Formats: sequence, structure tokens, C-alpha cells
Amino acid sequence: MRMKTRMISLCAIAGMTALSLAGCSEAAVSGNSSAASESTSEAASSSENAVSAGSAAVSTVATSGGSSASGINQIPEETEEASAENVDFSSFKIGEIESYVVNDGGWCQATHNSILSAMNDLGIPEDNLITLESIDDTDQASVKEAAEQLVDQGCNLIIGASTGYSSYLPEIAEKNPDVIFAQWGNKVDGLVGYEIRSYEGMFLAGYACELLSQDQNTELGYSASYNEFSVRTAINAYALGAKYANADAKVKVASAASWYDIDKETQCAQSLIDSGIKYMGMEASSPAIPETCEKNGAFVVGYHNDMSSLAPKAVLVSFEWNFAPIFKSIITRTAEKTATPDDFYYWGGDCSRLSDFADFVPEDVVQKVTDLKSKLESGEVQVYAGELKDNQGNVLVKEGQVMSDEDIIQQNFFVDNVETSWTVQ
Amino acid sequence: MSSTLLISILSMAVLYAVSVLYGAVGEIFAEKAGVMNLGLEGIMLMGAVSGYLVAVNQKNLGLAMLTVVLVGAVLGLIFAFLTITLQADQTVAGMAMLTFSTGMSGFIGKSVSGVNANLAFEAISIPGLCRIPILGPVLFQQNILVYLMYFIIPLSVFYINHTRPGMILRALGENPAALDSAGYNVFALRYAYVVFGSVMTAVGGAFVSLAYTNFWSDGMTSGKGWIAFALVVFSSWNPLTAVFGGLLFGAISAIGVDIQTLFPAIPSQIFATLPYIATIIALVFTTGNFRNRRSAAPAALTIPYDREKR
Repeated sequence: MRMKTRMISLCAIAGMTALSLAGCSEAAVSGNSSAASESTSEAASSSENAVSAGSAAVSTVATSGGSSASGINQIPEETEEASAENVDFSSFKIGEIESYVVNDGGWCQATHNSILSAMNDLGIPEDNLITLESIDDTDQASVKEAAEQLVDQGCNLIIGASTGYSSYLPEIAEKNPDVIFAQWGNKVDGLVGYEIRSYEGMFLAGYACELLSQDQNTELGYSASYNEFSVRTAINAYALGAKYANADAKVKVASAASWYDIDKETQCAQSLIDSGIKYMGMEASSPAIPETCEKNGAFVVGYHNDMSSLAPKAVLVSFEWNFAPIFKSIITRTAEKTATPDDFYYWGGDCSRLSDFADFVPEDVVQKVTDLKSKLESGEVQVYAGELKDNQGNVLVKEGQVMSDEDIIQQNFFVDNVETSWTVQ
Repeated sequence: MSSTLLISILSMAVLYAVSVLYGAVGEIFAEKAGVMNLGLEGIMLMGAVSGYLVAVNQKNLGLAMLTVVLVGAVLGLIFAFLTITLQADQTVAGMAMLTFSTGMSGFIGKSVSGVNANLAFEAISIPGLCRIPILGPVLFQQNILVYLMYFIIPLSVFYINHTRPGMILRALGENPAALDSAGYNVFALRYAYVVFGSVMTAVGGAFVSLAYTNFWSDGMTSGKGWIAFALVVFSSWNPLTAVFGGLLFGAISAIGVDIQTLFPAIPSQIFATLPYIATIIALVFTTGNFRNRRSAAPAALTIPYDREKR
């Protein structure tokens, strides 16, 4: 009797576990029919991607920074579109590997929407996209299985949206030379690399906030996650944008010390607001910051995707990761058989864009931001132009000079108008 | 420290405390009855997602909370069936519940991930009381689930320590065989308390998605279920002590962020250590030998009751 009872209980537990795993796997292997919602919430893994991207960026520069002869083919912006008209994409299949769900409101959603946008522009049916979600980038077996599954299903291009995949994908890529593998951030041998000049969008965001804040003579705030390359890039660009509007502008940073923590993110926003700040930027993973701003009558620049629907009275504008132009180029070059694993993309412009401004943002501010965007695109204004000092008083860029891409990506500093308890080694 | 800052820190502490107290109080009842549920985090997530799903689709908070209660009850029944009827190992069954609920919450919440419900428990100011300096804004400008907790805590303490059913509850976790001999149905009582604990935990999850914030994302409780579980031990199975534990962690967490903005010259790593220092202090006070009294853990905790082995 007792043995029977134990058997039943073991079966019940095994059944529950199986059910749970079934739920996970069904979530993990989904098609592309669930186009991501435009409204947003944030999730933990999105930032992890952004972060690992930052560290990966360093290795990119290390291998591609001019002196290297590793054969990296940096693709210039604004290419390829003309030839796309002559390519038949009807049977072109794309595989997408994501570390989280595609409607996470954050990183994965931005990547997924960008792929769909590129496919739409090129006339590729959405059914030609196979999405594998929740593939843990630390799980070698899962990543390899996912990639092989996509190859078996006839994908011409496989996009890995988390830098962690770069450790495992080259092996699969080597075995399948007819398939192009594209990998966010890290330019490793055998994989097409892609990155975005995110600082351009953040520069514009900081500029807009300072224009709005000037009349009230208040400091700006920045609610951040970890002290890491990509986060420092966002903070510095935001601070430099503010400084471009007002030479005396200061940006105070509050850190959640977490990639996803609704308590800490709420507290960061609340703490900045309590210290008198009314306008802030964010590099965080949940909608807690916009919600806190809305409750307190403060304003924020959304992150990852358009966050206006989450806090319509607080979100001034959102910084959006837009990979669509890059994906369009990669898809086209892959279909034309001109793509090579040596290709590397580091694009700005529309890739590093702002969403539409909220209706309550004055028209003159919107116009000034638009004008500055044009100047950035023409090269008339450089975000990292000298003289530029860090917040320790050291000169980073001399007068008349511009920072190299290598230093821009590494961001091993805080610019002089950033107030933070973080230190940089 | 300005009064605004103090109010802000204390308000955050109250919200944080309530977000973990529903689960902690529910688990105190379940453990007092002799059943330990390690799956609190998963049940919180199920509560959070089920409430949010109904809020998005039905635009009705009452219906959302009713659903949360039902979901909590069903999960509690499953867990009770495994651990009480089938006498499964409570640790293993708890982990199974955790895995099952976490995976299931992500699965059923897929359609509302990133969707704004625009429906949440808003803060309600209590006339008169909200004007009390400092404490007014901290305690009496909160949402209804916080106010509910103000009643749950004293009622729980009174129930456990000063009522006959409370005495029976304590006996359930200390010596169920004696209770059985006295004619009480140990199985039914344990079922009831496990289900109650699960319902409370699910409500705690709904507090996170419908009051503390107003969104759903996979895994959004970020370990609050585990903190609730830890609070049970920290509090020595006393709901009132659990309140202080919740407030302590909430306040320390908020202070850590506030000090960053007040004193940017001090390295932020120092503030990041504060919660761990608090944890060590709490552990010393709750488990240290100097207390000179026996552990408050129920004697029959995690031990399945088997009538044939009386």
C-alpha cells in the first residue's frame, strides 16, 4: 500500500514537471504568427543581451579596429537596397534565435519587430520566419539544437540575438557553409556581426530633456541598471546631449544594480524624483520607471521600444533599437550570395532612432531635436567631439579631435557632467 | 534627511513589505499546519498572471481577484493532494510546484506580456489620517490591498495565539497524532491551511502585477516568493515579526538607492552590500543561540501524517 502511494506521488510529480516543461517548450518553439505588441513591458533578459553586447563590442573593436588584418568587411551604411528589387525572396527562409519571448517589451521584441519589418519591406512572407524563443545563451546543447533545427528546416539566414550564442554558433556555421549566421555584437570568425551606434539616439534624448528642463532649472536624472559598457554609453550620450543644449547641464545617475528588478527600478526613479529631478533617461528592463514617473508627475525617455502606451503622461519619447535596415541588408546580401561571414555592421542613423514625441512635448523642442538629428546625420555635429573631459577631470578627446570607434564602444569613462557613485576601473 | 525623502523611503518599505507579506503570512499558516511549500515563487507568478489576464480582458478588478483566489485555491489543492494525500516529499513536491507554476505562468501570460491593462489598485487617501505628519502619507495613502494587510496581520496573530482554532492549528504542526486522537480530521485541516496559504500567496502575486506595478512580464516577481519563504523563518513563524522583516528589507533596499543620489561620491558597491548585512543581522537575531529558547519551527513540519504509523 505504502509503495503504491509512493509510486502515485512520484508519478504525479513527474506529471507536473512534464506539464511544466511542455509549457516551456511550447513557448520556446513558436512560429512567427504572434506579431509583437507595440506596447511594452520590460524583461530581464533583454538587458542581459544589451550588456553582453557591450562587452562583445570590445572584442569587435579589438579585431576590427583598423590595425587588425583579420579580413573583416565593414559594411557601410545605406547600401544594397537598389539591388533588392531583382532578388526573388519567395522561398527565402529566416531563422531567429531569442533568449527570451518575442513580446518581452524589450530587447527580443525590438529584434523580432526589426526582422519582421525588414521582411515586410522586402516582400518576404512572415511564414518564412521561424522563431525559437527562450533559448538560454548559457546552455550549449539548447543553442546547438536550435541552430541545427533551423538549418534542417531550410533557413538561408539564422540570426542569433544574444551575444552568448557566439560561443556555439561558429561550429554549426562551419558545418553549414551555405547558411549565413548573423550574430548581435560580437564579431567572431564565421558569423556576420551587427551593432548599432546607440549613442546617437541617446544624445538626442538628452538634448530634448535638457531643452524641456531648462525653464525649470533642474538637474536631469538617469535611471540605470549595471555599471557596464553599454549602460555607460547610454548615460554618457544622454549627458552629452544635455550639455549640447546647456553647457551647465548635469545628469544624476541612480543605479538599480540589477538587470531586472521592479523594486529597485521603482526606487531609482522615486529617488531621483525626490531629489528634485523631473526629467530622466533610463536604461532598464521593466516599465516600473515610466509608471513611477507618471505617478509623480515626472517625465522619462522610454527605452528599447516605444513605451508611450505604458505611461502616456510620462513618456516624452522612446529610444528604439531598430535593426531593420541592417537586417534588410543582411537578407539581401544573403539572397544575392554576396554575404560573407566576414561582414560586420556598425550602423547609426535610423537604426538608433527615437519614436514619435508625445503630444504634450512643445513643437519647438521637437523641431530642434529634428534639426540636431539632421546635423548628426550630416556629420556637422559629432557626439564625441573634443574637447571632452571625464568626470575625474581627465581629457578624453582634445579640442578639434573626435573619439575613435574603439573608445566609443568601450566607454571606459563617465563624461564630466555625469554625477554618479559608480567608478570606472 | 528631508521629510519628503523619509516619506519616500518608508512608503517604498511598506509597499515592498506588503508584496512579500501575503505569501509569508499564508506560508506561516501552512507551515504551522505542518506543510512546507517551496513553490511560493511560482504560485505568486500564477496569481500575478491570472489577475492581469482578467484585468486586461475583462477590465474588472473584482473578477480579476476572484480568479486569483480560485487559481491559488486550485494550486493549493494540487499541492495538498501531493503532500497530504499522497504523502509526497514536501521539498520535492514544492520544487515541482515551483517549476510547474513558473513555466505555466509564462505560457498563459504570453498574450498579455507587454500589454497595458490600464487597470490597477490605485492609492486611496484615508481622510484625516493621511494628514498625520510622516506616517499619514506613508500608511494612509496606499491601495486597498495594503489596507487589507493592516487587518490581516493582527487578525492572524490573534487567530494563531488566542483562539481555539489557532490552538488546533499549532497542534497540527506540533503533534498531529494527538489531534487525530482527539477526533479532529488532520487531513482536512491540513488541506484547508495549505489552500489558504496558496490563496494568500497568489493574492501577493496579484498585488505585484495589479497594485505595486501595472504590467505582466515573465518572472516579474523576481524572487519575492523566496523572500516571503525566508521571512517565515526569520520571523520565527510569527506574522507580526514578519512585518518588521519585510519593512526592514524594503527600507534598506530603498535607502541604498537614495544614498546613491544623495552621496554620489561614495562608491555604489557599499550600498549594494546593505541588504546582505541586514540578512546577516536578521539571521543572528532569529537563529542565534543567545536567544536561549528552542526553535519555533513546528515539530511536525515537512513530516507527512500517516495514521498507520501513529
